[in-house]
Amino acid sequence: MNLTFYMKRTHLAAILILGLGIVFLVFASNDFSTFASFESAQKSGKRVKIAGQLSLSDPILYDPEKDPNFFSFFMVDEKGNKRKVVINEPKRRDFERSEQIVVTGKMNDKNEFEATEMLLKCPSKYKEEELALRKQAAAM
Amino acid sequence: MDEISYIGEHLWLGQLGHFLVVLAFVSSLFAAWSFYQSQKDDSWAKLAKFGYHIHGISIITVFGLILYAMFNHYYEYDYVYRTVADESLTHYLLAAFWADQEGSFLLWMFWHVILGWIFMQKDGRWVAPTMVTLILIQAFLISMLLGIYLPFGDDFKIGSNPFILVRDVYDAPIFSNADYLGLIEGRGLNPLLQNYWMTIHPPVIFLGFASTSIPFCMSIASLSTREHLPILKPLLKWTLFNAFILGLGILMGGAWAYEALTFGGYWAWDPVENTSLVPWLLLMAGIHTNLIAISTRYSIKTTYVYYMLAFFTLLYSTFLTRSGILGDTSVHAFTTMGLETQLVMFILFFIGLGLFKYLSGRSSIPRIQKEESIQSREFWMFVGALILFFSGFLMTASTSLPVYNKIVELFNPNHIPLAIDDPMHHHNKYQIWIGVFIGLLTGLAILLRYHGANWAQYSRKYLKHTGITLGISLVLTILISQAIRIIGWQQYFFLLAGLFAIIANLDYLVVFVKGNMKTAGAAFSHMGFGVLILGIMISGLNNRTITSSFFEQSDFAEGDAADKAVILIKDEPRYSSGYWMHYKDDTLVHNLRKYEIEFTKVDSNNVPLRQFTTRPNVIYSNDFTKIEAPNPGNHRTLLYDVFTAAGPPPHMWDIANVKALEDSLKYLSHLVETGETFEESKYLATVGTPIFNYDFGEEDHGDTTQYDLTLGIPLDVVIKRTGEQMRVVPGLGLKNALVFQFPVVINELGIKIKIPEAAFSEIFTEEDKLKYEDIRLRQDEFIVWNDYKIQLKGFDRSGNYRNYTPREGDIALAAELEITTPDGMVISQNPLFILRNAQQFSIKDYSPESSLHIRFSNIDPNSETMTFRVARDDRSQEAIELLIAEDVPRSDILIVEANIFPGINLVWLGCLMMLGGIVMSLISRRMSAKNGIS
Repeated sequence: MNLTFYMKRTHLAAILILGLGIVFLVFASNDFSTFASFESAQKSGKRVKIAGQLSLSDPILYDPEKDPNFFSFFMVDEKGNKRKVVINEPKRRDFERSEQIVVTGKMNDKNEFEATEMLLKCPSKYKEEELALRKQAAAM
Repeated sequence: MDEISYIGEHLWLGQLGHFLVVLAFVSSLFAAWSFYQSQKDDSWAKLAKFGYHIHGISIITVFGLILYAMFNHYYEYDYVYRTVADESLTHYLLAAFWADQEGSFLLWMFWHVILGWIFMQKDGRWVAPTMVTLILIQAFLISMLLGIYLPFGDDFKIGSNPFILVRDVYDAPIFSNADYLGLIEGRGLNPLLQNYWMTIHPPVIFLGFASTSIPFCMSIASLSTREHLPILKPLLKWTLFNAFILGLGILMGGAWAYEALTFGGYWAWDPVENTSLVPWLLLMAGIHTNLIAISTRYSIKTTYVYYMLAFFTLLYSTFLTRSGILGDTSVHAFTTMGLETQLVMFILFFIGLGLFKYLSGRSSIPRIQKEESIQSREFWMFVGALILFFSGFLMTASTSLPVYNKIVELFNPNHIPLAIDDPMHHHNKYQIWIGVFIGLLTGLAILLRYHGANWAQYSRKYLKHTGITLGISLVLTILISQAIRIIGWQQYFFLLAGLFAIIANLDYLVVFVKGNMKTAGAAFSHMGFGVLILGIMISGLNNRTITSSFFEQSDFAEGDAADKAVILIKDEPRYSSGYWMHYKDDTLVHNLRKYEIEFTKVDSNNVPLRQFTTRPNVIYSNDFTKIEAPNPGNHRTLLYDVFTAAGPPPHMWDIANVKALEDSLKYLSHLVETGETFEESKYLATVGTPIFNYDFGEEDHGDTTQYDLTLGIPLDVVIKRTGEQMRVVPGLGLKNALVFQFPVVINELGIKIKIPEAAFSEIFTEEDKLKYEDIRLRQDEFIVWNDYKIQLKGFDRSGNYRNYTPREGDIALAAELEITTPDGMVISQNPLFILRNAQQFSIKDYSPESSLHIRFSNIDPNSETMTFRVARDDRSQEAIELLIAEDVPRSDILIVEANIFPGINLVWLGCLMMLGGIVMSLISRRMSAKNGIS
């Protein structure tokens, strides 16, 4: 083979692959997103990701004896709108303590958000803990 | 506040420790300088080694001091307070040691010290300059523990002192008490980390971290000495060791994740997992170019670049885990130490050093003008290494999103943070192609020869072998894809690449290698990669849930997100997806509640095929107020694993939930009499005679024989629906003037029965309302008192009496009284007389049958007359109040999720083969170096 490249093949390969990498990253950025709101989900009818807070004043329903895979609660999104969220999975531990909830799914015709995935952000367990004065308490 | 002289502190330990930390820092700078000088002037060499020994011994002593303080529960030290508790198990001591920042930094430094000691023994011009860089890294690490505050305010500190006192960290009123140590107890290791993997995974991964410094330092050394060729072989051997250990550490992390923590996965594309894999990928890329460099002198520069990048990405990974920038997105994130700036300086310093050395030394690297030929092995190895680099690049880019968000926020406070929608999907989507290319390249490149030697003759053989391999792989791909579930066209390529890697490398091992260990290692590793691909495909795409409750599906079930868990009731076997599941038992061991679930696989005619038991558990927090996490139980077989996660229903998750449930129950009062039978819609219950000092059994209420008094109301319950009969005994206990309720739950009926606390006084006449009279008796005498005949039959001197705990010096004696009641019943009562510290006590005996309260009040040794005080209970009120709540959630149920993972052992086998191949290469290279063969 007598090719008259200006650059070495290895360099060419390196440049090709790095170029490919940038193309990949441009595509990959489609996977990055911010969060939708209940309203925009209602309008678009698409599968979206919504972040918000659990509304503790509304009922949190989970009756494992009836159906261990059905769980519903009310969530307030970042725009302040509240909707009922239903999800087909067992209730998570520390659910009530969550600081933030991120649900992925879409709105149904009953004006509920049907989530297929849920992420909970919980306060770190050991960060703000006070001194454990159990012995003192027992002595008193 | 005035100085308080605290009691029980061991301040010498912290003072010694802190001194040694400072000594380790100073001696590291001294050793680095001396090693640097020793390159020009040999007389420095001794001093350099001396300095390094001081440094090493200091580090190891600091390590030992902290362990000592932890072992002895010196809670005055914050680090001990944070990681150890009174009841901590000794075998988690090491785990607790490296559970936090300071300990893990020390572990890292410990390994550097050891590696440096070994490295120092070697000969070669590159040893001294390598040591310089290694010690500089060490100096930066130990500076993280210095704990020196700069005089510009609280935020400016260098390092965090591991010997800081707990009273200097927290501002609490308790520290005005000189004896505060008697009052506090450590918090103990996070229960999630109380796992044997926590004892072995960190030492291995940190040895991997520490050994990643060596290729970096050696690269810097050869760039400084400008001698590149002699270092290539030792560089490769150290890097092989490095890649093996780091790989083993990552694999252990995967095994831990698979076994506990998450549910049935070995890799979650967690930021920390990614950033520990990236250095490994770069090391692997470097190993390949290092091999090229040894055989052909090409790619020396590239080798240095990969090794340096491996070290930089490792530091970056350290930064991500330790700076708190990941927040809650990772299980690996440490709590912050406030050393972000110092960590950034650490990284920037070494990136700067690497860049400077590279730019100033690159001109000395030998260059070959002739290009690699396209039929040569080195060309395709180079491409393979490039793809590994590319994989690491992509992973780092995606993982750095939180860092990107932070940087953008600096300039634009309104920036809304971006996040990856679905990290698993995202990474899998791109990395699958890396797998395809690598799989194909391992097969294509290994059969090629360096320099493309003799291509004219060799090409036919090469094409024949490659062609046949490809043909077999294609056929197998089609066959296997029929047997397993595949959900995307890309996965056919992935499968093909895996099979191609296995077969081509097997072919190479059998036909070409013929016992040459050096290249056999490579082929073996490559086969391992193929096996790993198979394992990923089969376990990842073909795992299925066997606990899908299809007949309970709710109306909007969508895809596989739906219905993963079932409810199991204790001792009620339940069928799902070909298995009978039987929740048999639960036992509490330390802070683990272990469940025993028996699975019976049956065929379509319900004929049992095989049976096995899984033991999932839940782990309670150190203070037992809540369930911290469930740990799955795994049934392992050669072909598949059955994974089970189980946990109680939410109302049993923590104390708050238990209380909330109790508050929500509506108890209805039932006034009943002894012997009465009452009927409810679901059951009939007959009330038995109250039993005093009933033993409720240890399981639920502790040892109730230690109570001052207990009362049980036996109820014989008949469940109408099934006709089942049972006896339950709700009751009360009195201990230290406190009344405890012992309720019972009948899960079959969903009812909970308790006895109101007031029942004690209703059933029992209080002491001050009784009219005692003295009677005197000698042995065998009897007296008739209010129509009762009371006879003193003898004495019990055994010392084992009810409600009595012996103390030293006690003299205790029980009288054996025989009572004949007015209606002719004969009853035995045993009041107790105690002489303790020259004071007389008596423990009363009350029998509901005789209605007599009897105390043994005095012994007259002269006349051998015993005095008893007797009172009759005149209560006519026989009504007993029961409180019964309905619709009580069951307490004997488990929420269970069980999955089958086929082919998971291929994942482990593949990884072990990859690591095994590295070890084979390392051993054969060591042997050939010893025998002088090149």
